[in-house]
Amino acid sequence: MTHYDYHRPETVEEVLGLKRVLPAATFIAGGTDLMVRIKNRVLNPPALISLRAVTELGGIEDGEHTRIGALTTIDELCRHPLIAERYPLLAQAARRLGSRQIRNVATLGGNLCNCSPCADTATPLLVYDAQVQLQGPDGSRQVTLAEFFVGPGQTCSSPEEILSQIILPPPPADARTLFMKKGRVKMDLAIASTSVVLVLDGELCQEARLAVGSVAPVALRLPLAESVLAGQKLSSELSAEVARVATTEIAPIGDIRASADYRRQIIEVYLRRSIDQLAGIVQ
Amino acid sequence: MTELKYIGKETPRPDGPDKAAGRAHYIHDLSRPGMLYGKVKFSEHAHARILRIDTSKAERLPGVQAVITAENTPEVRIGFIRDNFALKKGKVRQFRDEIAAVAAIDADIAAEAIDLIEVEYEALPGVFTTEEALADDAPLVHEIDPRGRPRNDNRLPLRFHHESGDLEAGRAAAKHIASGDFSTPVIQQSCMGTAGCIAEFDLNQQLTIWAKTQIPFLAQRDFNQALADMGLAGKNARVIVSALGGAFGSGLDTHAYEFISILLAHRTGKPVKIVYNRDEEFAYLSPRQSSQVSITQGCDDEGQLTFREIQVWQDNGAYTSWGATFPTVMMLPATSLYRVPNIFFDAKLVYTNNTYCQAMRGYGNPELAWALESNLDDLAEAAGIDPFELRLRNCNQPGETTPMGLKVTTCGLKECLQTVADKIAWPQKRSQGKRRGVGMASLFHVGGGGRIYRSDGTGMILKLDDFGNVNVYFGGVEMGQGMYSALSLAVAEALGVKPEKIFINPTDTGTCPWDVGTHASRGAFMACNAAIAASKKVRARIFERARALFANEAKKNLKKLHKKNPDFKAADFDVEAEARNGEFELQDGFVFLPAAPDESWLRVDLSQLLRAIHFREQGEMITAEAFYDPPNELPDWEKGYGNMSATYTWGTQGVEVEVDTETGEVKILHLVAAHDVGKVLNPQTLKGQTYGALAQGIGYALYEEVLSEQGRILNPNFRDYKIPTVAEMNFPIDLEFIETNDPEGPFGAKGIGEPGLVPTAPAIANAIYNAIGVRIHDLPITPEKILAALKNK
Repeated sequence: MTHYDYHRPETVEEVLGLKRVLPAATFIAGGTDLMVRIKNRVLNPPALISLRAVTELGGIEDGEHTRIGALTTIDELCRHPLIAERYPLLAQAARRLGSRQIRNVATLGGNLCNCSPCADTATPLLVYDAQVQLQGPDGSRQVTLAEFFVGPGQTCSSPEEILSQIILPPPPADARTLFMKKGRVKMDLAIASTSVVLVLDGELCQEARLAVGSVAPVALRLPLAESVLAGQKLSSELSAEVARVATTEIAPIGDIRASADYRRQIIEVYLRRSIDQLAGIVQ
Repeated sequence: MTELKYIGKETPRPDGPDKAAGRAHYIHDLSRPGMLYGKVKFSEHAHARILRIDTSKAERLPGVQAVITAENTPEVRIGFIRDNFALKKGKVRQFRDEIAAVAAIDADIAAEAIDLIEVEYEALPGVFTTEEALADDAPLVHEIDPRGRPRNDNRLPLRFHHESGDLEAGRAAAKHIASGDFSTPVIQQSCMGTAGCIAEFDLNQQLTIWAKTQIPFLAQRDFNQALADMGLAGKNARVIVSALGGAFGSGLDTHAYEFISILLAHRTGKPVKIVYNRDEEFAYLSPRQSSQVSITQGCDDEGQLTFREIQVWQDNGAYTSWGATFPTVMMLPATSLYRVPNIFFDAKLVYTNNTYCQAMRGYGNPELAWALESNLDDLAEAAGIDPFELRLRNCNQPGETTPMGLKVTTCGLKECLQTVADKIAWPQKRSQGKRRGVGMASLFHVGGGGRIYRSDGTGMILKLDDFGNVNVYFGGVEMGQGMYSALSLAVAEALGVKPEKIFINPTDTGTCPWDVGTHASRGAFMACNAAIAASKKVRARIFERARALFANEAKKNLKKLHKKNPDFKAADFDVEAEARNGEFELQDGFVFLPAAPDESWLRVDLSQLLRAIHFREQGEMITAEAFYDPPNELPDWEKGYGNMSATYTWGTQGVEVEVDTETGEVKILHLVAAHDVGKVLNPQTLKGQTYGALAQGIGYALYEEVLSEQGRILNPNFRDYKIPTVAEMNFPIDLEFIETNDPEGPFGAKGIGEPGLVPTAPAIANAIYNAIGVRIHDLPITPEKILAALKNK
């Protein structure tokens, strides 16, 4: 039943080589999602190729673009000064992911490759215009996160490829940011989450970036709602209008965690409140 | 009682360090030489005929030592009305029905073998609500009753009923009436330690079973019955209880997996361990019953309650456990919380094809309190009376006998109500607006044992050794609640030795005297009363022997003193004459004469005296036993009358909440829990127990629900079954313990294990009503229910 071979290569080259000879093998990083599925016998891989000893997949590199190794743990994201300073939404979302024990082993790459619509790190990365680097036998390529997410549990990478880095362009200057997450209790999978980045010029919204999670097959940006907000004078009426438009861009489902209507309601309320709060609008 | 030395003092629990360090031995940690691992094959249908079971592939799997089904084992019936079977034959009645089981050399092989068992079913239509179960053409869950007689409907043969006064007169006298239908969900006990056991036969066919149970002696009886069913009449099951990671009622019955483990151990001749993993615990162990309660209460213009009418419907699931007797405890608050002269109470239970349920902390009381205390606020509003004032006007009093015949000795309800009102800033907070509000609810529960069985007794043996240690043999169960802490303090106090000299031995039917079980908040009440009785006997025997032996030991002390300090001058004291009077005192491990309590040589170490009693011709060891059976009565449940407990506990909880009317979220801002505990035995463990109960109460109120569809559980894991964590308990909590010093209570104490979670949910619901004006009738109070209620307002 839960019998599988376990490989622990130390370089990306070895990883890709192993995968070539073991095409049915599954990559594993933190394993916080994967091991649950193996234990529940949803997955039954003949072999696991662990990425944990591949040091070149770790680390956070400063530069014009910030490069985060896929193996970076969620806990590292919570604590890293560069992330806190330049990409505070990512740190905020990371702190709301699972429990301390989960954050100690779960990785950023794993959270993205799992490709759950409720992945906590997805919405911050979407609003920061993140790209991901995929490495395979034919070399490496870079795709946007929006391209990477195809559907629930489904990414654009081929089975031979691994996600090696998350690349973040510089954040907009003087951006105001807010991450919100609704769970049934505090420590929970998101039943809806929002990431908002606003660049303000006085009462004018210069730039708006909005992303939402758990309300569509993948986490996604809201181009229509962003366009309603960008370039406009901020007001509580405008926030409400943006939030209403946002609900037309999502396609939530109802399940045992929440109804579709409730998810829609949370998105509308959270986006409106986020914009109001960031714009200093007092209700 | 003289001044208390240990009782009432903050004391770390004796089992704390090992449990905190992961060194306590839970069932999961135990292993026996040659032990096999058992695993159960469960039904894949809620209701179906079993057409064929093919175990041949499983039997051929290397490492498998036995595969059993109802076809190749003796019939073992379980449950107190004997309507359940260890292994099911002919048909399954719920998703978790046990169809087959294997024993293998490791757990992985056992699991693999289970997958190889093929079962062919013919699906049958099922019943999944009480309404469906009661329909005229409803399929029968059980076609015949346990005696083999045909059944005509899905009603259980259990009746719980109470009528007192004149209901119609009460209704006529009412100027204001409030009615409502309230429901509570199936919830999980959510023990940290999952269920499990090891069964082992010796070559004389005697059984030892290490079990996760709260009822070792009733379990022994059940297991002995099973041995008889297996053709081993007269053989004995010795039940040993390892450390328990919480039980909350889940150990109040014997379970199919225990009997299966016995059958496998007998078949293989080897010890067999079955331990449920978390998924199995969720899906295959019995949770708390759901309930539907219809209630009407009325009062006159002054707010005096004139009548209360309650009809309960309970979905029993497919089989009957002790949990089916929830209405016995529902009847307590129904008849006796606040003074109501005219009462009607009736409870009916039906079989369905849902998972069968069992006991959980509070045992029907939280279900009834949810309806009663929510409805009382509705009545207060109808009458235009403040809900706190309404409760005060109908408050119970010490010395009264309630309509159920419950004899109230001490009653701190008025103090509890007043304390909550003061601490929560009632009435200022009632009218604060801003979507904030406060609410309160009270509770009434057994606090002096609970006679739901012929005996409500507990035995205790105290065995003293040459070192002054006191070995305690007691049949109750420490399941994490802190009873060993209360018990060690009680023995120390009653006997006069230091708590570190008290050693409580593992609960074992082979060594400990009988106890009915650790339930009904009776553990500490019973244990401490038994400890007092046994300690009296120990002291009397020691003092009796000391008449002849004390003087000699005191003189030895004096000789030693003189050796150290030749100038020592002993007071002029005729120790022989004083000792012959037999007037002694024992405190902190020293025996002395009250006439000279401070003279150092006249203070004889208990161990020294015990050795003097032991090591002489015709020597003796000091051991004493006591059996405490409290002064209470086994009620007549069809009449709903009888003084079930020796004393009763009271309490009131007040909550301040803020409701987000756009997201439906309820934020608790402040909680006050005032409980009449009789007397605080150990503040540290009492606080721990109450905080834990409040967290469970909040989980019941806001989060917890076992979701199911056509009998299949949809959220059998903590990912989707949400219990509060520390993040949900992040608000100020005031615990206020009211000490009423009950005359029957040990040192005045009452049982307090369950009460903490009883009134929490209605207190929260009443606060929500005060904040936003919507009444939620069905637990849990989810954000979506709040939004829906606001929409319909």
